[in-house]
Amino acid sequence: MADLGVMALLLGVALSAYCAIGVVIGEKMGRAALVVSARRALYMTAVAAAVASGALINAFVQNDFSIAYVADHSNTLMDRAFVWVAFYAGNEGSLLYILLTLSVISVISVWFAPKRLARSMPWTIAILAIIQLFYFGVLAFVASPFELLDTVPVDGRGINPLLTHPGMFSHPPLLMGGLIAITIPFAFVSGALIAGNYGDDWVDVARVSAIIGWGVLGTGMLLGAWWAYTILGWGGYWAWDPIENVALMPWLVMTAFLHSIMVQKRRGMFRLWNVALLNIAFVLAQLGMFINRGGPVVSVHSFAASTLGAIFLSFMLASLVFAFALFLWRMPQLKSDRAMESFVSREASFLINNFLFLAVMVVTLWGVLFPLFSDLARDVSVSVSAPYFDRVNGPVLLGIVVMMGIGPLLPWRKASARSMKQWFVWPTVVGLIAIGVLIALGVQRPVAIFAFGVVAFVATSIGEEWWRGTTARHRSGDNWALAWWRLVNSNRPRHGGYIVHISILMLGLGIIGTNFYQQRTDGALALGESLVLDNYRIEYVDNGGSSRPDRIAQWVEMSVYEIDPDDYKQEISFAKAQGSSGFTLKDSTLRPNDELIDTIEPWHGFYIDFNMASVRSGIRSTVVEDLYVIPRDFLADGRVSLAVSINPLAWWLWASGPFFILGTMVALWPQAAVEKRPTRKRLKGEPEGDI
Amino acid sequence: MQILLGTLLAVVSVIVIAYPFLGSKRYRVVSETFVTRAKLRAERLRIYRKISDLEADFTSGDLTEHDYQQQRDQLRIAAAEILKQESGVSISDAKRDEEIEKEISRLREQSATSNEAPEGGDTL
Repeated sequence: MADLGVMALLLGVALSAYCAIGVVIGEKMGRAALVVSARRALYMTAVAAAVASGALINAFVQNDFSIAYVADHSNTLMDRAFVWVAFYAGNEGSLLYILLTLSVISVISVWFAPKRLARSMPWTIAILAIIQLFYFGVLAFVASPFELLDTVPVDGRGINPLLTHPGMFSHPPLLMGGLIAITIPFAFVSGALIAGNYGDDWVDVARVSAIIGWGVLGTGMLLGAWWAYTILGWGGYWAWDPIENVALMPWLVMTAFLHSIMVQKRRGMFRLWNVALLNIAFVLAQLGMFINRGGPVVSVHSFAASTLGAIFLSFMLASLVFAFALFLWRMPQLKSDRAMESFVSREASFLINNFLFLAVMVVTLWGVLFPLFSDLARDVSVSVSAPYFDRVNGPVLLGIVVMMGIGPLLPWRKASARSMKQWFVWPTVVGLIAIGVLIALGVQRPVAIFAFGVVAFVATSIGEEWWRGTTARHRSGDNWALAWWRLVNSNRPRHGGYIVHISILMLGLGIIGTNFYQQRTDGALALGESLVLDNYRIEYVDNGGSSRPDRIAQWVEMSVYEIDPDDYKQEISFAKAQGSSGFTLKDSTLRPNDELIDTIEPWHGFYIDFNMASVRSGIRSTVVEDLYVIPRDFLADGRVSLAVSINPLAWWLWASGPFFILGTMVALWPQAAVEKRPTRKRLKGEPEGDI
Repeated sequence: MQILLGTLLAVVSVIVIAYPFLGSKRYRVVSETFVTRAKLRAERLRIYRKISDLEADFTSGDLTEHDYQQQRDQLRIAAAEILKQESGVSISDAKRDEEIEKEISRLREQSATSNEAPEGGDTL
């Protein structure tokens, strides 16, 4: 399959180069046939990328170990279901996957582009073709996934064990797809600016394509967090790792964009600002590619062995120069003729929220790049870890959540004192009640209590708006469900946004719970011994193992009991005196109120070829809290070393995912008439042919 | 076999991109008139949507009555101006108003907001 793959990549180089040059010459010289031909070349690049991808996947299916990439990322023992994962498990394959995604979404977006953008489409196509040319070029000449080995091995090395997890079927593709999808709105807006289309013709296309990329990227990040939580054994889900951060930064900027584009759509303002945000998001996506592909910042899941850093750095700098040169060139024409009338208005709140998103982005960017600057300036290697990000970003993120509650309640243009009172009374009252109740219940940590109050405030503001809208419709005859459905349908972008806000609140609950109230303990247990933490007693009852030529796996069976702390008064007092939150029990006798509630089986594997351990945490998850058990090691004396934690409200982190996707879909679903593709019926004056 | 498939792919690509030069269809660069018409139509639809959104904002209390009337009038004037540009000066004012009302009503029906009742806010 190597020959076919190489030919497809070379053809892709030729097609994208022809497309980029042909479409510009055709446009400049008024040669319509050349423009059409070049556009068809763009369509064919997707076919070339698909053929190259198919050739690589087929090589995995056939165990064609003559191809170095296949030999490096699979073996005969690999479950065939993981062929899809192996395809993008390495640097070259992931680049091919990115190219495939880019080429397919380019075709779709160009095919469905509205006619009113006809003048700027050649430039949009040229930008897409140049970006594709870069990827085809890298794959064909620098990092080919079809490179052949001099000596064909009998078996391959196998897939990275950390990737053999259900989350890997979707997390990397969504993350990479989301990052590259930012190219589409960027290409449309840049194309419009080059063509001198300064109006709002591109707003709908940019908004829809940005939502798609943003939704896909956000879902990818959430799945990555879930993967980290269940497989990496960190005991956490977000470590502010550089690779996590380079996905988060463009997502934050795109979130800001999706809010401010509504201001442009509704009020004709923020045009300049929106173009700047898209440029920043696109350049940050390129920064992500650079750091992930052999950049100077070390990460747990970057392609550290890659030597593509210089190439991607050059491409990122070229993108930066292009985007902002174009921005500066067209800046005078992009200025809005409207001014903000009041700082107490929806547009002002969106602007503040934009600044907060950018603040988090800048703080995160500084944390990612500081080690690099330190290395260059002082020759001292430093790392910026989670406490920096938590302390600096935490309050700003809380500010964003506050604005999430305030912004949608404010009217456009300016708010009156009466409307403020009408809309803010209930959310404020409920927020204060929530804080009061938590204090009365003896909950500690003022910052967390305030954060819970903010969540209650925002949730009530959304609920209040839905309640008012739904009751109004219900009074006019609809049943409750239909009334709510019609309310949502009346303005899908807005109500889809509210559903996404609910998912962010759920995420917020999980983050507050796990960050402020987590309890942890460690211990080594022999068979029959137990570890007690808070209201749980975990007893080590059995173990087992399985071996394969490439892996040694061991598991432990643990019974989980809910206990009455009064039964363990003495031990708890002793542990507290020692400064520990948990303790070990040698005695297997159960206490009177111990109740068996679950059985968990944490798993620990060691992959010989990779010299790498991989765990599956044992998790008992409820809406209130997760009991989380990581098997650290199996000791020579037969004991198992465990890290046990209680992660309050962790369930809400993962429950937020479906709401995030649902809200994105609702916001994305086309509104009637305006966002529908213009009819194919030829208008008077429309030329013949498929231009 | 692979070389054959690769060659076939290249040949198909060449045919696809060469077809506009060889086929019977005659392509012309999109005329300025066509683009202008498409833009006017899109702008008109956008204004209809804005009027529809404006009504939703008004009924949900996001806009005062004064702002609502003012913006609605501005948008209606803008829509009428576009209609005038699209269809020439021959169309009467009454017909333009009728056309605008018709489109907005259609949008309202499609958005299932035709039975919408006021929901509160500082306008009520």
